[in-house]
Amino acid sequence: MHDVAILKSGASSPKPHRARSRFVLDMRQSLPTWKQALFLGGSLAIGLAISVAILAIAGISPIQLAFELAGVFNATSLRGVLFQAAPMMLVGLAASLAFRLGFWNLGLEGQMLLGGIFAEGVSIYEIGPPQTRLVVMGIAAAIGGSLWCLLGGLLKMRFRVNEIIATLLLNYVAKYFLFHLLYGAWQDPKTAYPQSAPLRPFERLFDLGFGVNGGLLTAIAAVALAGWMVHLSRVGFYMRIISANPSMAKVLGVPIRAITIWIVLISGACAGLAGFVNVASQEGRLTDSYADGYLFSGALIAFLSRNDPLVVAIVGFLVAVLFITGQTLQVFYQIPFTMVQLIEAIIVMSVASSEFFIRHRIRWLRQESA
Amino acid sequence: MIPFLTNWFADVPGTAVPYALGALGLIICERSGVLNLTAEGLMLVGALAGVASYLEFGGHSGLSLVIAMISASAVSLLFAGLVVVLRVNQVIAGLSMVFFCQGLTGLLGIITGWQNKRITGLLPMTVWPLSEIPVVGKIFFMQDAVVYLTVVIYIVVNWWLFSTMMGLRIRAVGENPAAADAAGISVSLYRVLAIVIGSSLLGLAGAYISVVSVKLWVSGMTSGRGWIAVALVVFARWAPWPALGGALLFGCIEALIPHIAAAGIRVPQYLVMMTPYLATIAVMIWVGATQSVGTSEPGALGQPHVREERR
Repeated sequence: MHDVAILKSGASSPKPHRARSRFVLDMRQSLPTWKQALFLGGSLAIGLAISVAILAIAGISPIQLAFELAGVFNATSLRGVLFQAAPMMLVGLAASLAFRLGFWNLGLEGQMLLGGIFAEGVSIYEIGPPQTRLVVMGIAAAIGGSLWCLLGGLLKMRFRVNEIIATLLLNYVAKYFLFHLLYGAWQDPKTAYPQSAPLRPFERLFDLGFGVNGGLLTAIAAVALAGWMVHLSRVGFYMRIISANPSMAKVLGVPIRAITIWIVLISGACAGLAGFVNVASQEGRLTDSYADGYLFSGALIAFLSRNDPLVVAIVGFLVAVLFITGQTLQVFYQIPFTMVQLIEAIIVMSVASSEFFIRHRIRWLRQESA
Repeated sequence: MIPFLTNWFADVPGTAVPYALGALGLIICERSGVLNLTAEGLMLVGALAGVASYLEFGGHSGLSLVIAMISASAVSLLFAGLVVVLRVNQVIAGLSMVFFCQGLTGLLGIITGWQNKRITGLLPMTVWPLSEIPVVGKIFFMQDAVVYLTVVIYIVVNWWLFSTMMGLRIRAVGENPAAADAAGISVSLYRVLAIVIGSSLLGLAGAYISVVSVKLWVSGMTSGRGWIAVALVVFARWAPWPALGGALLFGCIEALIPHIAAAGIRVPQYLVMMTPYLATIAVMIWVGATQSVGTSEPGALGQPHVREERR
């Protein structure tokens, strides 16, 4: 009450608005699709131009960049991109399913780490016969990831802990747990590096031809299943109601709790599988950095695909191209890999800004002062 | 036991300062209704800018701390443009700012060669003769200048936010932007102001880690302290003094880690390093169990304000 009195008191309060010309924002009711695409494309172009400019300052001329980008599409590099696309699609899926429900799962890296650790554990303790070892490792990874994600989900549902903070902090916990293993019991006695002994040949995802491996097939199957779940199944229908209007969903008797737990588990399982794919294909062993840079990549893929699992596949592939280009620049031009995160952030910012112009019209309001 | 406790508590102010300054900066910003997740990123900007200006401008610690504050404020203008002018979702904008800053500082640190260069940094000062008091002296009167400055900053910010017109307007904009707008307060102006001033404290928090504590720049060196500061704000219910208390609590936990090993207690090193994060989660559980939802947070936290929008 006291505050309001001060707000209204004359001498110290700001001057009232006089009639003067100013910008006003109109809310657009609708905008033709081609115009929306124009705004989106325009801001994406600006974002990419800024990224190219930053790379130019860092010492990569646009011509070199174009050369390196074109180089990604030759046969050997394309295999690398396809290898990279699998974990990208899986983390993108993990992020998009959770974001679709309004659950900010930012624990993707921690869930990947747990997935990798569980898969490695299956290898170390030799669970299951060699013929089915890979399958058991994959299932273990999915369980590991989903348990780690469920921890964040339970903290939110049971204790009302903000899931952004909870899942993010659990990443650090997972990372130190990985260090505990890699500098301790699981370290390869033959090396001084923080890495485990190499996986056995039958525990690795090998190339089936043209860069297609079991990881990519798993990712595509996951995308198809998630697409079916989101667009056709009852769960997807419930998810739409919950994200549109939670209180309405409650009144209608939608099983919010069950759906949330289910999505949290699936999201974590996808991230865990991504960790397994990285350990079993690219690295071939548990290393200390196989999940680095995937958190924001996953968020970026979910954001650009508007949480649609089918679009995730395409965007995931493009982000894989970005990742491989980033690795090339790191190897040949000593550009640190964090460059990739910088470009990803610029892309998200520019695309997010375009929504302002899609939703509002800026108008110059002319007023004659009295 | 007494030497162990003295050594431990003497380290607490130093480890608590980044949390205290970070949380205070976030409180200023969030009191204006802007949900600020940028802490981790802007602390990195401050940390790099601090070391960089120390290396480039002849090793003046005070100057490098000021430049770090200015740098973080400058970068925060990008965040202000996104959330205040363009009304981007504040979670998305905050997250992309964190990764933008991580990418930018990582890149700059490498291509300029500022990474892994050891500096002398700011040394602790001795408040003689008070520092000669047996136990109390080492804990309270042998700290660096920023520790004492932090207390001053807390007093000033508390006065500014709760006893001045400008502070009142910032809080009004955060509680009910529509009403503040109707009263003639420029919502955008005060939100930008709160972001820029709050971010300068985030920059100082980051520079403290690099220039005073670690005396080195390494990519990603804040290692989640920004996120802990974000949690601390919720724990403190957006009030400065409880945030200082929380910062001291986390300072105690973090300062204990090296002393456990030094005391010869054998515990797995990396499991011990989890404790600040686990403690944060524990504190958040306590907050969730004792506080009812949404009672203490600023009324318009996270909501962009568009005057023409009907609600």
